[in-house]
Amino acid sequence: MDPVIIDAARLTTRQINANLRELPDGARAVITEPRGRHNLAVGLTNKIEITIDGNAGYYIGGLGDGPDITVNGFTGWGIGENLMSGVIRVKGSVSQSAAASAHGGLIVVEGDASLRAGISFKGATLAIAGDAGNLTGFMAQAGTILIGGDAGEALGDSLYEAVIYVAGDIASLGADARFSDLTEDDVTAVKALCGQAGFTHISPEDVTKVDSARQLYHFTSAHASAY
Amino acid sequence: MCGIAGLTLKDPGLRPELGAMLAGMLTMLEERGPDSAGVAIYDGTGTLNVIKDVGGAEQICAKFGIAGAPGYQGVGHTRMATESAVTKAHCHPFVPADGVCVVHNGSFSNHHTVRRELERQGTRFESDNDSEVAARYIGLRLAQGDDLETALHAMATVMDGFYTLLVTTATEFAVARDPIACKPAVIAETDGYVAMASEYRALADLPGIRGARVFEPTGVHTWTR
Repeated sequence: MDPVIIDAARLTTRQINANLRELPDGARAVITEPRGRHNLAVGLTNKIEITIDGNAGYYIGGLGDGPDITVNGFTGWGIGENLMSGVIRVKGSVSQSAAASAHGGLIVVEGDASLRAGISFKGATLAIAGDAGNLTGFMAQAGTILIGGDAGEALGDSLYEAVIYVAGDIASLGADARFSDLTEDDVTAVKALCGQAGFTHISPEDVTKVDSARQLYHFTSAHASAY
Repeated sequence: MCGIAGLTLKDPGLRPELGAMLAGMLTMLEERGPDSAGVAIYDGTGTLNVIKDVGGAEQICAKFGIAGAPGYQGVGHTRMATESAVTKAHCHPFVPADGVCVVHNGSFSNHHTVRRELERQGTRFESDNDSEVAARYIGLRLAQGDDLETALHAMATVMDGFYTLLVTTATEFAVARDPIACKPAVIAETDGYVAMASEYRALADLPGIRGARVFEPTGVHTWTR
């Protein structure tokens, strides 16, 4: 079946998303001329394949629970925010707060990610081929973040139970984040994730693992005097 | 919120188009700042033409014929007022010295303290807007002999808060962001121009954008003519 062509230059964002919502499972759609438009392909639950053919704006694919989305360009803030399932692949770089609060699914960034990627992460998987900005994984509660390049300052600040793997250098760790030993299970997980993401430049045995020291989110009587 | 748009042209052939390019960019940013808008255009005669008004950017650009204005550099701002009144005096751009133009997205938390100190030193203000304090401070540093990049680094040590600033002089075009960078900025650079906007969608219709180097600046970036 040929894909449905949706020309963003001729439609409002509501019209574009309504058109996508009406497509049956298994359908394909191509959104042309996105020109940095925000909120494309948000809140969809049908199992469709969407290609956004160009650079897009904020919150692309947010709240998605079904579709697979490919962006042939870069995106603004909040790609895949609160994603529930499905795969979002961005061929370029992404701006701030990529995959914020994402519960499930996979977000692949073939370029770099700006600050606060994976903020408040809740169980999804985020794979960044390039570098990640400051405060990546801030308050991440569950899920996996893979950074193929370098990580910025305060990586994993206030981290809960999410795990971060970094192939390159780490500028600094955030509060309560720690370097952790890489187990065989970690190597297997990174290898599988590289396969899913299509990353061939990462050596899974050589990544650095960062997880929570778990000192920050429990009250301890040793800090009683602070209250 | 608030929206920022700016252009500095490298290709003199684009000068007749400057106003149209800037008006198009600013119109795309009206949602970020529906309260008021302002435009400053360096037309090449040595005069900095500044227009400010209360209302939406598209209407203000049409009212003042911005699309027909030629020039080599221009700055625009759409304001969502958060800490002071919606009047013409509170609109950006602020012009703290001859040929110096400042627009701001963000908020400063210690502007009263800095304002009192600047007033003690003789600086006069036209509004109680926090952005004007940063503008006056930058203007003061430039008057004391700093280049723009040095003045912006100095500002960062004095002013506390969130900011993306676009600051221009007759020969310089600079973008400065605080380290947390929660106020957006996107740059597009081609052989013909350097363009800056709060969001990419404001840049998406510029000529040659498909071949442009597009990036998000951090810290201070300066272009000199």
